[in-house]
Amino acid sequence: MKISCLRFSAILGGICVALLATPAAATVGSCDDPITFGTTISETGPFSTLSDRWRKMTEAFADEINKSGGIMVKACNKRVPLKFVIYDDQSVPATAVALYQKMASVDKVDFFVGPDWSAIGGPVAPIADRHKIPMVMGNVATPSIYERGLKYVWGTPYPVVPRWSERYFEMLKHVTPKPHSIFFITHDNPVMKAITGYWSKKAEAQGIKVVGSETFSQELKDFTALISKVRAAKPDIIYISSFDGPSVPLVQQMRQLKVHASDIHHTMLTGSLFRQVGKDIEGMTGELSWYPGVKGDYGDLVERVMKESDVNMFDYIWTLGRLSSYLVMVQAIEKAGAIDREKVRAALYKGTFKAPAGDIVFDEHGFPNTGAFTIQMQNGAVKVVWPSDVATGKMIWPSPSWQ
Amino acid sequence: MTIDTFVQVCIGGLLIGGLYALVAFGLSLIYGVVRVLNFAHGTLLAVSGTAASIMFAAWQLHPALIAVVLVPVVFAFGYGFYSILLQPLARRSPFEATVGTVLVTVGALLILSDLTAKFAGATQRNIPLRFHTIEVGNIVFSTTQLYILLGIAALSIAMHLMLKRTWFGRAIRAVTQDSIGAQLCGVRSERLKAMTFAFGSSAAAVAGVLYVMSFPVDPYMGFGLTVKAFTIIVVGGIGNLPGALIAGTLLGVAEGLTGLFWKPEWASAISVILLLLILVAFPAGFAKRRR
Repeated sequence: MKISCLRFSAILGGICVALLATPAAATVGSCDDPITFGTTISETGPFSTLSDRWRKMTEAFADEINKSGGIMVKACNKRVPLKFVIYDDQSVPATAVALYQKMASVDKVDFFVGPDWSAIGGPVAPIADRHKIPMVMGNVATPSIYERGLKYVWGTPYPVVPRWSERYFEMLKHVTPKPHSIFFITHDNPVMKAITGYWSKKAEAQGIKVVGSETFSQELKDFTALISKVRAAKPDIIYISSFDGPSVPLVQQMRQLKVHASDIHHTMLTGSLFRQVGKDIEGMTGELSWYPGVKGDYGDLVERVMKESDVNMFDYIWTLGRLSSYLVMVQAIEKAGAIDREKVRAALYKGTFKAPAGDIVFDEHGFPNTGAFTIQMQNGAVKVVWPSDVATGKMIWPSPSWQ
Repeated sequence: MTIDTFVQVCIGGLLIGGLYALVAFGLSLIYGVVRVLNFAHGTLLAVSGTAASIMFAAWQLHPALIAVVLVPVVFAFGYGFYSILLQPLARRSPFEATVGTVLVTVGALLILSDLTAKFAGATQRNIPLRFHTIEVGNIVFSTTQLYILLGIAALSIAMHLMLKRTWFGRAIRAVTQDSIGAQLCGVRSERLKAMTFAFGSSAAAVAGVLYVMSFPVDPYMGFGLTVKAFTIIVVGGIGNLPGALIAGTLLGVAEGLTGLFWKPEWASAISVILLLLILVAFPAGFAKRRR
């Protein structure tokens, strides 16, 4: 009996040792296994409106890269296929944190790409440092997230706050009659508040007087009070710094309450906003990171991926930020010439990376230099109106529908 | 600030406050009779609003017709939900029953939200109906708002009459006051509870159709509305329709005036502040419950 107990314990112990010793996933950095990018997508939850088609898009991206054999790795002397490990973070930061921990320790992915939204990117980023896995985040645009001394974190949000409305304010220098006043309406969110903070200073510096600034919470549905203040201030420009969803009743009620201005500018003029407010959106201006047709590096690849996954840039305006995180990581591996996290990290620190909307260069914190085009809704269609050399339509100023 | 601005803000407050009151009244009725705090109540509004928006987009149906279609569906859902998931909990100990109902309704909130997001998308939706606007001086209000206000008033009167003049209404009030006494008088208490749960759910469905005509809905907005409805119930009194209307309107106008005189970002928080202030000043709420 004693012998059989000992034998049983020995077998059990052996199994435990074997299980612990066996890697749960492919060996990190191997030339014989695909390179794995670990990522989460907000497929459910509040952020899913912005990203619910990105799983298919991510798979289409891998297919496109693998068509030519994969990513060229010099140390392997061959192209190594790309594979994604994708989880749904449910738009919940705590879930995202647990999933990135799992990808680091159980799935043993080679690199991290793409978490989006500052609310998720903020808590997730330190995991990359803890496990020393380079991470190129997607749409995480809050500069302070990058300024925490993290060594393995980069990001490709489009556009970044200091360049968000750069082209719009550039355009304002060229319109007639010149705007003299601006009213900022801001969604209570870190990125949107940062945009208002930055661009209200720029407006003043450009000689456009800020005649009012109001912030509203995500839950606010009745904007009558806020709009009454805007009407009383009579600004030339109303600058709405908000995500698309929370501003739907604002735009509708501005129309209902007959607000007049030379232009209503919206930082997230999206297909979703258009579908919800319909004709109310006419004449409004906004930003778009990139649009099919603008020729740039990897533009064809991005167009094919979007087409295969039925993703439209106007509906999913953060798509370029997400895809650029993949593109940057692919290029970093090629530059490093090895599936080696430290070498890839070094490549990310010093490289210039190609993307459809122009080169991406990171500052010392891993924050990029990405900008956006100025668009205007004209007869129910999106027209790029600035810069003039790539414009698909002429800016209509002042906007007749808001007169 | 001019008087026009003040009136304008009050009109907006009346509209949203009336919608809050409708949501609260269904919830209040359910709690009064069934003694279940239905955390999924606001989510029913969100789901109904989403369904209404989809029906409008697909077939351009008139919102009143959409409400006529949705009410029996949501009624049946409410009846089934109570009978299958909540009624069995009544056989448990009071503690288990209370915890169980919270778990079931919170679970329903999460499942309904995610299912709606899965099948209808998580994007906000509304019914983009635009009737013409009426201008009186600087005050502008749309006839859409007017129709919604009329809808709220008509529904409130109908529900009030139903509670006061019909057997069903009298039975509801009897069970609210004394469940065992009502049973002794021939009221089939369990069936009535299921009917009340279904009726309260239908009220949320109608509120959803009215809500989505003026404000966007999304699958995840329900809990915030439920919290506001709880506030209104506490202030207005359980099962008290006029009390709910007064409290709802007060809340809506208070939110608007907070935005006007202070900051719009504080408008949502005002419900909690208001609740605390009123509970200090009127511990029994605006309407004392009759026993």
